[in-house]
Amino acid sequence: MTMAGQLRIGFDVGGTFTDGVLMEGREVLAKAKALTTQDVTGGIINALDEILTQSSIDPAAIAMVSLGTTHTTNAIIERRSLNKVGIFRLGAPATTAIPPLTGWPEDLKTAIGGPEFVHIIRGGSEYDGRDIVPLDEGAIAQACRKMKGKVDSVAITGVFSPILPDHEERAAKTVREVLGDEVHITLSHRIATISLLERENSTILNASVITVMQRAVNSLKDATKERGISAPLFIVQNDGSVMSADYAVDYPIFTVASGPAASVRGSVYLSGIEDGVVVDIGGTSTDVAYIVKGFPRESSITVNIGGVKTNIRCPDLLSIALGGGTIVKHQDEEVNALGPESVGYNLVRLAKSFGGPLLTVHDAAVALDKLQQKLDVFKTDFATQAEEVKALPKKLLENAWAAVKVTVEEAVDKMKTTAEPVPAIFIGGGAMVVPKEGLSGVSEVLSPDHFEVGGAVGTTIAEIGAYAEGVVDLDQEDRDGAIARVTEHAKDNAHAAGAIRETVDVMDVEEIPFTYMPGKREKIRVRVKGKILQ
Amino acid sequence: MKGQQMDARRILAEWGVDKYQIIDKEAIQEITLGASILATGGGGDPEIGLLWTYKVIDEGKEIVMIDPMDVPDEVQTASPACLGAALVLTEKPPSEGVLNLAIRRLERYLGRSIQATIPVECGGVNSPVAYAAAGELGVPVIDVDGMNRAFPELQMTSWVTHGVHASPTVSVDDRQNVTVIDTGDDDVLAETLARQAAMAYGGISWIATYPMTGSEVKDASIINSQSIAWAVGKAVMRARREHLDPIEELLSSLRKERQVEGFRVFRGKIVDIHREFGSETSKGFTLGKILMEGIEESRGSTAELDFQNEWLNLRVDGKVRCLPPDLIAILDSETGEPIRTDIMKYGYRGTIVLIPAHERMRTPKGIEMFGPRHFGYDLDYVPVEKMND
Repeated sequence: MTMAGQLRIGFDVGGTFTDGVLMEGREVLAKAKALTTQDVTGGIINALDEILTQSSIDPAAIAMVSLGTTHTTNAIIERRSLNKVGIFRLGAPATTAIPPLTGWPEDLKTAIGGPEFVHIIRGGSEYDGRDIVPLDEGAIAQACRKMKGKVDSVAITGVFSPILPDHEERAAKTVREVLGDEVHITLSHRIATISLLERENSTILNASVITVMQRAVNSLKDATKERGISAPLFIVQNDGSVMSADYAVDYPIFTVASGPAASVRGSVYLSGIEDGVVVDIGGTSTDVAYIVKGFPRESSITVNIGGVKTNIRCPDLLSIALGGGTIVKHQDEEVNALGPESVGYNLVRLAKSFGGPLLTVHDAAVALDKLQQKLDVFKTDFATQAEEVKALPKKLLENAWAAVKVTVEEAVDKMKTTAEPVPAIFIGGGAMVVPKEGLSGVSEVLSPDHFEVGGAVGTTIAEIGAYAEGVVDLDQEDRDGAIARVTEHAKDNAHAAGAIRETVDVMDVEEIPFTYMPGKREKIRVRVKGKILQ
Repeated sequence: MKGQQMDARRILAEWGVDKYQIIDKEAIQEITLGASILATGGGGDPEIGLLWTYKVIDEGKEIVMIDPMDVPDEVQTASPACLGAALVLTEKPPSEGVLNLAIRRLERYLGRSIQATIPVECGGVNSPVAYAAAGELGVPVIDVDGMNRAFPELQMTSWVTHGVHASPTVSVDDRQNVTVIDTGDDDVLAETLARQAAMAYGGISWIATYPMTGSEVKDASIINSQSIAWAVGKAVMRARREHLDPIEELLSSLRKERQVEGFRVFRGKIVDIHREFGSETSKGFTLGKILMEGIEESRGSTAELDFQNEWLNLRVDGKVRCLPPDLIAILDSETGEPIRTDIMKYGYRGTIVLIPAHERMRTPKGIEMFGPRHFGYDLDYVPVEKMND
C-alpha cells in the first residue's frame, strides 16, 4: 500500500461543492464539503480549514496535499485570464494549407492574441527522422524580436516531434535567447501524441493557461504554508494519476478532466477493485467508466475543450440520462420511458415522495423500500411523503425498477470489453436508488464507505502516471529492444513528473502499425506509473 | 483570387452549363461525412481535407459541382488525390500549393489544361481534397468518382475496369519534388511506382491521376457518386440534429438516392484486434482481423471482420455475410460516425451496415480485380443482398 500511516489531504473541486478529505493509509479521518467559489482557490481553503478544525491534527505531520481542479478548464471555457501566446509551427513548406488556429472560436483566438503571433517556420521532421527541411532558426529569432513584450508564453509544435523532438528543442533555445526566462515555453512533444493539428491545439491551450495554474498553485502553497503545512502539493491529471504542482504549472492542460478521473481513482481505492466498471450515479445522469489496473480506460476520440479539438488523454466515459431525479414516464402500470428529463435539484419540490406531482426513479426506490440510508442532499429525510408513493400500484413500481435495472445493465455492458461478469463499483448520490442485485454481466456490486467524497479520496492515492512513444522499423530494430527503449523514455518522464524512478512500472504497451506503407513500421506507446517522491 | 473565382463559372459558360451546385461549408461537411461512411473503414481522417476546403472557401474561392452528363465529351479532366500513409498525413498536413503543382505538371506533360476535377474515391481525405483543389484551381468538380467507396490501391477503380488508365500520373511532395509516372495500360505498375515515390518523399504524396476526357468520365465513372455521399451525409446529420436513428436514416437515403437496400446486420463492441504484418501476401499493406461481441439485439452473436486498410469480409457466427467489393461500414450507433480501421480500438461500440457495391464495380472484370479472390479468399463473390435476405 502507498504511504501507509502517513497523513494526506485531498480536494476535489466540483461544480457546486469542493470536497476535502484527510486520509491516513486507507482510513478517512475527516471529510468536508465547502461551496465552490468563483476563484476556485477560496473553496479549497475553506474545505481545508474545516478539515483542520475537525481533526485537530498537527499540520506539520501532513505528508502530501493533492487536488483535482477545474482552474484551467474554467479559464479556457470562460476565456478568462488567458496568456497571450506566441505560436510557432515547425513544418513549412509542408502543412501551410491549414495554418494554426484554423477552426478556433473567434473569441478564444482573440483572448490568446490572435493571428498576429502565429508563425509557420521552415523545419520539422519526416517520420523516418529526416528533416523536412533544415530548421530556420533565424526566422524564429526574427519573429521573437517582433513579439517581445507582447506575449506571456510561447507554444512550439514541430512535425513528427513526438518521434524526434530535436527541432522543437532547438527552437525553444532560440526563443529563450531572444525572449528571456520570464516567458513560458510549451513544447508539443511533451503534451500529446501524433496528429499535428490536435497536438498543436493542445499545446497552444496549455501555453494559454500557464499563468492561471501558476497563480492557483502559488496561492495554495501560501495558504498551506500559513497553516503550518510543509507537505508538497500535487495535482490530479486526466488519467487519474497525480503530478507535482511545479510540474503542473508547466502542463496545466493535463488537468482538464481531473474531476471525473479522480472519482474513478477514489472508487478503485475505496473498493480495492482494480478491474471492472465504475458507475457514478448522480441526480440527472450516470457516468460509467471502465477501469483497467486501477486507472480509467482512455478515450480514443478527440476531446473538445472550449470549442477546440485536442488529443489530450482523457477518461473514456459513457454518460446516460439516468439518475435519482429521472422522471418515470408511464401510462397506468406500464413504463413508457425513463427520462431523459430529470427533476434535478428540484427533487424535494417535484418528486412524488416529497408531495410533488412527478414519479421519479427516487420515488420508486422509496416505495419499494430500497433506500435504507439517509442521502447527503437531504437535510431531514429521503422522503417526506413515503406513504403517497407506497400507495402506487405495485406493478407500476416493479416495472419502473425493472426498467432502471435494464438501463444500468446495458450501460455496463457497453463499456465492458470482456464477456465475463465484472465487478461494479456504484458511487455518487444516486447510488442507492438503482438495483444492485442480479445485474447481468456484473459479478458483484460494491458501494464503499465515503463514496460521497470518492473524488477527494481519489486525489490522495499518490501515484504518478506518464507515457512515451516512438516509431520503429521492425526490419531495422528488434521489437523487444524498441519497446525497452520507449519504456525507458516513459520512466524518465514519470521521474520528471515526481515519481521515484525505481518504483515505476509499465501499465500497458500499445503498438500501432503504419497503414498504407510497405515495411514493418509501427508506433509504440508505453504507459507507466510510479510512486511519489518523499 | 477574383480571377480564379471567375474561372469555374467561365468554364461552365463556355460549356453552356447552367445547372450547378455551390459547395459551401455545410455541403462539404455533409459530403465528407457521407464519403467517410462509404469509405468502408478506410479513407483516412476527414479533418485535414475538411479544414483545407474551409480555408479555400474562407479565401473567397467558389467551389461548384456539376452533373457528368453536362460535361462536353472532349474536355480534359483529372483526379487530384493523396496517396500514402494515413498516419503520416495526420501529422504532416499538406503545403497549400501541392495539388496545384501536381495538376500543373500533369498539364505540362499532357500538353492540355485540366478543366475539371474528379474525386478518386469516397474517403475522408480524398473526397474533400478534390473540392479544395477545384476551388484553388478555379475549375468545377464533376459529380462522379471511381469507386463509390474506398479501396487500398490506385488501380482498383471502375475507370480501370472500363478501359481508362491511371497513367500518366504526376506525384509531388511539399518540397516541390515531382515524379511523372507513365506506365501505359499497366495500372498495377503505376500503383507500385506511385507508392514507392510516396515512401521516398516521406510517407505521403500528392497526385494528379486518371487524366480522362469528358466522354470517358461518363462511360467509366460511378455516376453521381458525390450526390450519393452527400445524401448519406445529410441523412446522418439530420438524424443527429433531430435525434433520429442514424442507421435508419442512412439506409433510407440509399433507398432514395441509389434504389438499393442496405442491411443492418450486427450491433456490438470490439473485443479483440489482431493486426499482422503480411508483407508477402498483402503487397505491403497492413492486414488484420477484429472480433466483435454482440450487444443489445445481437447479444450472444459474434462478428469477425478482416481488413486491408478497408474492411474486406464480414462473418457473423462463422457465416460469411459480405465480400468485396460490397461495402461494410461500422458506425457509432448513436452518432452514425464511421469507425475507421486506422483509429479503431478495443472497446469501440458500433452497428455494422452492409451496402451493395455500385453496379459498375460489380462487372466480371471488377470482381477479378477487387473481388474476394484478389484479396486472397478462396471464395466466389456472392452479392451481399443474396447473403442477407
